[in-house]
Amino acid sequence: MNLKYKYLAALLIPLLTMVWSCKEEDGLTVVPKNEFQNDCIKRSLGPNVVGLDIEFAYAMAIPKSLGKIVSAEVVASVAGAEATYLENKSYYTNGSGQDIGITIGNKSVNADGKTSVTFTTDTTAATLRYFYRIPASAKGKEISFVFSATASNGTTVSYNMGPYKVATMDMVLDLPVKDSSAAYISIEDMAVYGPAQAATNASKIDLVYLYRSIPNVVFGHGLVAPSSTTYLPNITLPAGVNRSAKVNKVWALRDLHLARLQYGIYIDDLDFQTLDINTAPDYAINLKAESGVWVETADGKYRAYIYINSVNNTGKSATISIKRYTL
Amino acid sequence: MKNITNIISSFFLLSLLFLGCKEDYPVDEDGLLITTRTDCYVSNFELLGSDFQTVRTKNPAIDTIAQTIDVEVFYGTDLKNLYPQFSLVTDAKLDPKITGKVDFSDLTKPKVYTVVSGNRQIRKDYTVKITVQKP
Repeated sequence: MNLKYKYLAALLIPLLTMVWSCKEEDGLTVVPKNEFQNDCIKRSLGPNVVGLDIEFAYAMAIPKSLGKIVSAEVVASVAGAEATYLENKSYYTNGSGQDIGITIGNKSVNADGKTSVTFTTDTTAATLRYFYRIPASAKGKEISFVFSATASNGTTVSYNMGPYKVATMDMVLDLPVKDSSAAYISIEDMAVYGPAQAATNASKIDLVYLYRSIPNVVFGHGLVAPSSTTYLPNITLPAGVNRSAKVNKVWALRDLHLARLQYGIYIDDLDFQTLDINTAPDYAINLKAESGVWVETADGKYRAYIYINSVNNTGKSATISIKRYTL
Repeated sequence: MKNITNIISSFFLLSLLFLGCKEDYPVDEDGLLITTRTDCYVSNFELLGSDFQTVRTKNPAIDTIAQTIDVEVFYGTDLKNLYPQFSLVTDAKLDPKITGKVDFSDLTKPKVYTVVSGNRQIRKDYTVKITVQKP
């Protein structure tokens, strides 16, 4: 009798174990929370540079039985520049992959680092995009954000994002340079001067842009320090323009901020900090579109990356963009 | 029982003998296989600038009899920061090794690289002569 029970038990226990382990758990069933909720993601990538936006998408939702959303706001630890805003449209992506915006409230209002939108439509769920324009005052600092939303039943939800470090480098885009006219580049001023202006800013001129088509050699577009007279043929420098610089040619370093092309490459503060171009010459010639040069000024005060956006051989001109780091 | 012990002992001794006869492949100080090859020459040569783009104006002239490599580089090439690249015959190696940028700026003293054959018995010195394109 005992043996019979033991036998049955031995048979039943594995069977029960099998049934238990086969219990379906699809992991897809979510029990909805019956409360006001919110979530946030950061949409922008790369280093945070003054003048650029940090972009977020802030989502909020409340069950219809509990009320509706009445307002949403973002508080930044450092007040954003004037162009900072919180969208008053909630976006969804349609079947064609296009983002369609639906207006849910008034345009956002900025006040002391707080950006807020008051809802004017009966809304229970919305995703608002927030564009924080990095102000000059935030350079080198860390910024945090508190996103919050308020519902008609008085409840509030909030979401903390950050901190995010703002780079100390500066950036200037699309400076036109032209042989013998707008040809004198100042890294300190991040500007391009003509001969007359170069004479008055002689101590700040680090590079001269020129284009030459010389028989038997390849010269093309060049960025040459005033000290390198060998590579400045037929150029009479304005009085006092004689500084040197270290110039290192680079190919295929298409920083996304400067080039605005499809390549996900970013130059950050760290790249300038670790850059070693001590043995570099004071000139770079035969530069092509989408190439660039690392530059270190003679006084060792600045390091920069100059990207060649485009070149024009017949016009003897080019368009350049600069990222600069102060040492 | 005695028979079994004898068999096990014999098998153990045979295994040791087999292991002791395992062929040992010779390697040099760099851990590279030393072969029987006696070929010793440079088959191709490349010279890259600091932007990792070629600075040659045309194909290099490699003379395996005179053991010279003549390269013409673009006008304005930064000769202090160049990356030479040698293609060698099978199993050969280069001495000194190229570990980074090389300064070729002293054109009066061309750089000399030694090619060592696969059997490590033959050494041939190749001189890299650079000329800069002139306007």
